[in-house]
Amino acid sequence: MRTSVLIVEDEPEFLRRFSDAVTSDAGLQLLAAVSTGRAGLAMLSAEPPDVMLVDLGLPDMDGVTLIRHAVSLHPACDVLVVTMFGDDQHVLSSIEAGATGYLLKDACGDRIAAAIHEIRCGGSPISPSIARRVLARFRITPAPPQPSASPAVGAEDSPLSPRETEILRLVAKGLDFDTVGELLGISPHTVVTHVKKIYRKLAVHSRGEAVYEAGQMGLL
Amino acid sequence: MKPGRWACFRRHLLFALALGAAWLPLLAGAVAIVPAHAWELDGDEARPPPDDDPRWRETRLPDSTRAHVAWYRVEFDHVRDKDDALWMLYLPYMYGGGRVWLNGEAVAAVLEGSATRRVRWERPLLLPLPQSLLRDGGNVLHLRPVAAHQPNGNGLAPIVVGTQDELQPRFEQRLFFVRTVPVITVVAGSVVGLFFMFIWLRRRQEVLYGLFGVAVLLWALRTTTFVFDSMPAAVWPLWRLLYHATTGGFVIVMTLFALAMAGWYRRRVALGLFAYWLLGPLLFLLGGAQSDELVGRWWELGLIPIGLSMIVITAAAAWRQRSAGTLAIALAVTLAVAAGVHDYLVAWSSPLIAGLLPKWTEQRFFLLHHGANLLLLVMGALLTLRFVRSLEGVEEANRSLEARVAQREAEIDASYRRIAALQRAQATTDERQRIMQDLHDGLGSQLFTSLLRAERGALDRTDIADALRSAIDEMRVAIEALASDEQDFRTAFGNFRFRWDQRLRDAGVTPRWQVEVPDAVLDVPAHDALQLLRIVQEALTNVLRHARARHVQISLRQRSDRLEFEVRDDGVGCAVPAQAGGRGLSNMVARADKLGAQLRVEPGPPGMRVSLAWPLPPPPPPPPGDRTPATSGDVIAAEA
Repeated sequence: MRTSVLIVEDEPEFLRRFSDAVTSDAGLQLLAAVSTGRAGLAMLSAEPPDVMLVDLGLPDMDGVTLIRHAVSLHPACDVLVVTMFGDDQHVLSSIEAGATGYLLKDACGDRIAAAIHEIRCGGSPISPSIARRVLARFRITPAPPQPSASPAVGAEDSPLSPRETEILRLVAKGLDFDTVGELLGISPHTVVTHVKKIYRKLAVHSRGEAVYEAGQMGLL
Repeated sequence: MKPGRWACFRRHLLFALALGAAWLPLLAGAVAIVPAHAWELDGDEARPPPDDDPRWRETRLPDSTRAHVAWYRVEFDHVRDKDDALWMLYLPYMYGGGRVWLNGEAVAAVLEGSATRRVRWERPLLLPLPQSLLRDGGNVLHLRPVAAHQPNGNGLAPIVVGTQDELQPRFEQRLFFVRTVPVITVVAGSVVGLFFMFIWLRRRQEVLYGLFGVAVLLWALRTTTFVFDSMPAAVWPLWRLLYHATTGGFVIVMTLFALAMAGWYRRRVALGLFAYWLLGPLLFLLGGAQSDELVGRWWELGLIPIGLSMIVITAAAAWRQRSAGTLAIALAVTLAVAAGVHDYLVAWSSPLIAGLLPKWTEQRFFLLHHGANLLLLVMGALLTLRFVRSLEGVEEANRSLEARVAQREAEIDASYRRIAALQRAQATTDERQRIMQDLHDGLGSQLFTSLLRAERGALDRTDIADALRSAIDEMRVAIEALASDEQDFRTAFGNFRFRWDQRLRDAGVTPRWQVEVPDAVLDVPAHDALQLLRIVQEALTNVLRHARARHVQISLRQRSDRLEFEVRDDGVGCAVPAQAGGRGLSNMVARADKLGAQLRVEPGPPGMRVSLAWPLPPPPPPPPGDRTPATSGDVIAAEA
C-alpha cells in the first residue's frame, strides 16, 4: 500500500520539485498537486490523502485554515508544513492547527521523500527552538523544577506526561535525539514518536484553549 | 508657652488654690475651747506648785518665757455631753517636750531633752484627757514645758481642748504639713536631685541641670533636719551645722541657677556667693556656745537680700524673655523668698509679723518648705520641658533626615533606572548596528560577488547553486543565532545541530556530536554566537564540499572560561593546506581574529581537524533596580 500524498503549493518551482520527489519514490503516490487553498479543500473532500504537504503562504487562503480543515476531515491524515527556516512562529501555529511535521523549503528530493516516510512511521522532527515554544504553550518552564522547590506552575494540570515533558526539556536544551534516547533509556525512534504525540496533544490543547477563550470573549 | 497650655496651667493653678482654701474652714470654724487666759510660773518643781504660790503670774496664750522649765495653769469648763465623747488636749507645737496634769493627776509626758538627748518636736501633739479625771464644770490643766535647743526659748502654744472629733482633723492637718510634706520632700528631692545630677554628669554642658540637681539635693538634706524629733546630744551640733549649710547652700545655688537661666552667670559673683555660703558653717564651727544663735539670727538674715536679689534677677529675666517659663520662675521665686522672710520673722517672733497677723503667727506655721517645694517643682517642670523639647527636636531632625534620605534614595533609584534603560536602548542600537554590518559584510558581499561572477559567465550551474545555497546557509545560521529567545548558546547550537545533522546524513556523512557543557544557561552574546556558528558552519561546508568523508565528529566543550569547538573528518584531507578551504579558510581565520579566538586547521590523518578556542566573556553584572531577572520561561510564556 503506497502512501498517497496531496501537495498544496503556489510556487510552481517548488510544486514541481515536491511532485518530482513524490513520483520518483516507489513508496509514494501523488494524489494531487494543487496551487490554491480552494483546490486543496476540494481535493480533501474528494479523496482523503495519507499525507498533506502544505505551504503556509497560499494566495487565497491561510495555510493554517487548510491544515485545520484537513485534520478535522481526516484525523488520520498527516500534515507536513513547508517552512523557510524551521523555527518561526508559523511552525508552531501549524502544529497547533494539527500539523505533525515540517519540511524546509529548500530540502532536496530525497529529503522530501524521507520526511514523508518518517512521519508515516510515526515520528516527528523537533528543533530546540520549537521544543521551547511548545513548552511555553503548555506553560511549562524549560528548566526542570528543583526537588526542594514547589512544583512548576501548570505542571500538574499539563496534558503532557512526565516523560513527554522531559523529552521536550532535553531537546530544548539542545540535545540530539540519540542523546535524549540514551538519557531516558529509549531508542531515538521512540523519542520521535513521543514528539508526534506531543504535537497532537498541543493541537487538542490549543483547540480547547481557543474554545475557552472564545467563550470568554462571548463568541460562543 | 502656647495659649492652650497656659489655659491648662491656669486651670491647674485655680484647682490647687481651691484645694488649699478647703483647709481654711478647719482653722476658722473651730468650736473647741481655746483658753486665752493662763497663769505662768518660772520654776522646775516636779509637781504642780499650789495655786497660792506667789510666783504665778497671769498671762495670755501663746506665751513665751526665758525659763528653761516653766509651769502653766489653764482652767476650762467641761460639759459632759450625751455622746460621752473622748476629750483631748491639742498642742500645735511643744518643741522641747514636757508633762501634763489634769486636776492634779499626771496624764501625759512628752519626751524632754536632757544632758544626753536633744529633742525638737516639729510635730503637733494630741493628748487624751482621761474621762475619769474630768469633772463637770471647772477643770484645771497644769503643763510643764521644757525649753528646746532650737528655737532657744520656752513657752506655751495656743492649746485647744475639745472632743476627738474636733481636734483630730486639726492635728492631722498640721501633721501633714509639718511632717508628711517634709518626708515626701526628702524622698522625692533625693530621687529628682540624683536624676538631674546624673543627666549633668553625662552632659557637662547642661549646667542648669547640674545646679538644679545640687539645689534639690541640698533642699532634701535640709528637710531631713525636720524629720527627726529626737537624737543623741553628741549629734546635735552636726545636725545644726547640716541645717545651716544646706539652707545657705540652697539659697546660693538657686541664685546661681537664676543667674544662669537669665544668662547673667558671672564667675566672680558665683565665687562671692560661694564665700558667703562658706561663712555660715565656719561661724557655726568657730562661734562657740552662742554660734547657733549667731548663725541663725545674723548669717541667715544675710540670705534674705540674696533671696531678694533672686526675685530681681528672675523678674528681669521674665521681663526680657517674656516667656511663660521665666514668668513662672519669677513668681515661684517671689513666693519662696516671701515664705523664707515670713519664716524668719515667725521664727524670731518678730513684732513685724506678730503685730500684723497675731492669730497666724501664734500657730507658727513655717511656709518655706512649701514655697521652696513649689519653686523646685516649677524649675523641674521647666527643665523637663526643655528636655522633652530637645528630644522632640532630635526626633524631628531624625524624621526630616529620614525623609531626605528616602527622597535621595528614590532619586538615585530613578537615575539608576534611567541609566539602565539608556544602557538597554544603547545595547539594542549596538546590536542592530552589528547585525547591519554583518549583513553587509557577510550575506551582502557573498551575493554581490556571486552576481558579478555569474554575470561574467564564470559560474556554471553547480557553482550558482552552491553560491545560493551558501547564501541560504548564511541566513539560516543568522536566524539560529539571533532568533533565539534568550542568549543561551546551547539552544542556538542545538538548532544548528538539528539542521546540520539532517544535512550531513542526507549527504552520506555520518555525524557524531559531542556536547560537554555545564547544565546551565551558556550566556553568549548573539553576535558572538553567530560568528562562532559561522566558523563551524564553514568547517562543515568544507567537509561536505571537499573532504569526501564518511564520518565527521563535531564537539563543543566548555573548559572553565573558554569554549572549544572541534570538527574532525575522516576524508581525504589536503596535501596543500593553502588549498584546503580556499576562501572558506581565510573567512574562518578572519572571523576568528575578530572574535579573539584561536583557530587551528591541521591535517589528520585521516582527514582534517579544525579546532577553535574562544575565551568566554565575563558575565555582565545584573543591572541595578532589576534584582530578579526574568527567567527564560517567563519570557517565552509572555510571548506565546
